[in-house]
Amino acid sequence: MAGLATTFGSGAMTNSINEIENSQVILVSGSNTTDTHPQVARRILAAVDRGAKLIVIDPRRTRMAEYAHIHLAIRPGTDIPLLNAMMRIILDENLVDDVFIEMRTENFHALRDMLYRMDLQETVSITGVPLEDISRAARRYARAQKAVICYCLGVTQHICGTDNVQNYSNLAMLTGHVEQEDTGVDPLRGHSNVQGACDMGALPAVFPGYQPAADPEARAKFSRAWKTELPEKPGLTLLDMTHGGPGGAVRGMVIVGENPMLSDPTLGKVKKTLEGLDFLAVSDLYLTETAVMADVVFPAASFAEKTGTITNSERRVQLVRQAIAPVGSCLPDYRIIMELSGRLGFAMEYDSPAEIMEEIALLTPIYGGIYHDRLEAGWGLQWPCTDRSHPGTPFLHKYSFTRGRGHFSPTRHLPPSETPDEEYPMILITGRFYHHFHTGTMTRKSPTLIREGGGAIVQVHAADAEVLRVRNGDQVTITSRRGTITVQVEISDQVSQGNLFTTFHFAEAPVNELTVDARDPRAQCPEYKISAVRIEKAGP
Amino acid sequence: MNNTMSDKNILQKDHLVPLLRRLNKDYRMVLPVRNSSGDTLFAEVETLDGCRIDLDSQTLASAKHYLFPQLETLFKYRISADGGYSFEPVCEAEPTIFFGLRSCDLAAILYMDVIFLQKTKDPYYLQKRQNAILISLGCTEPFANCFCNATRSGPFLEYGFDLQFTDLGDRYFVETGRVSGGEIVRRYSHYFTPASEKDSKDQYQASLEARGRFKRQVHVDQATKRLQAEDVPESIWTELSLRCQDCGGCAYICPTCTCFTIRDQPCSAQEGERLRAWDACTFAGFTRMAGGHNPVQHRTQAIRKRFLHKLLHDVEKHGRSSCVGCGRCVDMCFGGVDIVRCVAMINELQ
Repeated sequence: MAGLATTFGSGAMTNSINEIENSQVILVSGSNTTDTHPQVARRILAAVDRGAKLIVIDPRRTRMAEYAHIHLAIRPGTDIPLLNAMMRIILDENLVDDVFIEMRTENFHALRDMLYRMDLQETVSITGVPLEDISRAARRYARAQKAVICYCLGVTQHICGTDNVQNYSNLAMLTGHVEQEDTGVDPLRGHSNVQGACDMGALPAVFPGYQPAADPEARAKFSRAWKTELPEKPGLTLLDMTHGGPGGAVRGMVIVGENPMLSDPTLGKVKKTLEGLDFLAVSDLYLTETAVMADVVFPAASFAEKTGTITNSERRVQLVRQAIAPVGSCLPDYRIIMELSGRLGFAMEYDSPAEIMEEIALLTPIYGGIYHDRLEAGWGLQWPCTDRSHPGTPFLHKYSFTRGRGHFSPTRHLPPSETPDEEYPMILITGRFYHHFHTGTMTRKSPTLIREGGGAIVQVHAADAEVLRVRNGDQVTITSRRGTITVQVEISDQVSQGNLFTTFHFAEAPVNELTVDARDPRAQCPEYKISAVRIEKAGP
Repeated sequence: MNNTMSDKNILQKDHLVPLLRRLNKDYRMVLPVRNSSGDTLFAEVETLDGCRIDLDSQTLASAKHYLFPQLETLFKYRISADGGYSFEPVCEAEPTIFFGLRSCDLAAILYMDVIFLQKTKDPYYLQKRQNAILISLGCTEPFANCFCNATRSGPFLEYGFDLQFTDLGDRYFVETGRVSGGEIVRRYSHYFTPASEKDSKDQYQASLEARGRFKRQVHVDQATKRLQAEDVPESIWTELSLRCQDCGGCAYICPTCTCFTIRDQPCSAQEGERLRAWDACTFAGFTRMAGGHNPVQHRTQAIRKRFLHKLLHDVEKHGRSSCVGCGRCVDMCFGGVDIVRCVAMINELQ
């Protein structure tokens, strides 16, 4: 988010998902697309069917990587030097888009000067990728007329996540691969409606539609609408809240549809913080690990029991219609919030989600033309959509970047917060498996999904397994400086030697007991992707 | 009146809805209905009023789930105070008319008959099947992904239907297949008139023209011959498996996929039910043993098994491929791991 906002002025997919199908080169980075974004993966496969070339940057040999024409299997956390090398090669071979740089961007010289000072051989030793492969990828990407970059959490969940993202934008701008149809930089969003949550201001420093809380005009507008004084100071980020400690500044929390007792890094800290609160309310479908700690639990309605909108990765606002009446005493989220706010002495009176949408349109320029009755008709609208007659925006930055000129931000390699040493010699990467969603609060209720993936496993390279003397299905303990978990071994060629991969779906093997609490200073995104660990065969 | 109706009759189009309305009074009716989201699906209708019967689109799913439900209760159990179990079988079906089945979907039901009724008769399927009257609608305009001409399961069938309708523009040509179809024509004879020589010729012409209207050429037999003759290279299955997203959609949407799993669902401490649910051979849990060992080691092998089953093993076992050429897997699969691609890949081998 923060990365693209700096370089382009807007932190969302610049293209529509459908456009990927028409691209000539697709660069996928830090995304196990086949498993985590099937609807994007299908477009990538369709593009390859039409002759597109696929480049995958990933420490893991995912199925998308196996399918790729070029797989750059970098060491975890070395995206920046890899991209710098690609850009240096593009510069050396004069494959840059001079006109685009001249007309549409700024600060190119800073990038150029930094690239000229770098040493390509050093990159090879940092990333572990042969120079020849880097060159092939650089040429392929630069020479295409239409090229997209799709990236996901493998890029952002690092202490240098924002820099990573900025470097991908640097690469795109250097070659002029933005601001056109079928060409751009596309972050893939994970959680359903996480884009919508950000759009609605569920971020510390902005109102809906990314209107800064620091801007007096925006503040005045929302104060008038909500008939209350609004603070100028930004709120806290997620980890500031859940890692605040037992005597933290936050004394009470309302947690909606999130399970930090499994999903946040360094769970020990989260537990202490939540236990130390004066009051905790949780609103969720099921009694999650977090909900059991709450003073009050609100039963929330599921997607099938409520009407509202979901905004997806491509900024498309879509209507979700209620299919069944809420089961038992559960309520749609807006009703829970209204009831709560009423009891706190602030009357929120909305008769329907459509009425709330009208207020969003009134106060949020990018959602200015989005109303339920318009959404009824088709497949939704893509913001920016500024008024009732606006058809929506399939791709961003046409003719000019949201911020005016695209800004080159040169970046340098920042080693991960933890590197392997004698005591903790392996790198643990965390992520997701196909059959479960996040902390499994929903998917672990399905017998078929449980049968497909019932428990926590760790992927181990065959050579490492041999040293450990473990076989498929053996139990192992994984220990970091922060904790220990026990999981089952799956010997896999998806991870390279020295790397381990596991997921955070399973409460009985909470991998976030192990993860570091280091985070990117700007986006505040935790470094889930790299922790130094030790692995041992479990007990007798 | 004529109690000896011919087995070839004409139903004027104007009389279709009145006939269906009449049938609906005496039978449970399942027919293709366009819903409020614009999707056409088989649906059980209480009344025809306000119901959009859609005979111009392919239904998104076949009628498989009416005879072999996605989730079916086999029996209920109860634990009594002394710890003993009592069981209550659940097996019921009412006379049902399926109207507007396409030839492929009907051919699929004939295939399910072989699976569920040939040797051990599955009582749950049998009950529903015996109560089913199948009225098909031959395809004068094959849909975008159809290739039933290549699997010999359409566009018109020679047998298997109770009644087969052919759209002749202003009227339907109605052929009687099995006895219960004849009974329908006799019982509601005032809706029908015997077909003339010209009607029969028009029907023949329409069925011939339909054969020329297929948009896809899928050489299923050629692929089967190839598979019979040699082991095709592993690379085909590897490529397909890399594209597979493991959703099981192909097996769920396929009108001839009949694999199921059984599970017990407790409803309370004293009560519960045994269910059978659709399963998919591409799932790892489909073949994994209780001890964790999986004889089908890799996704590649699961994909291979799936296509060999359709294209080779069923030919050897039942004399014909179990693909009925409906083309639904083409639209269903995110990764394009459909039988059309598989057949093309096999046939393109040098």
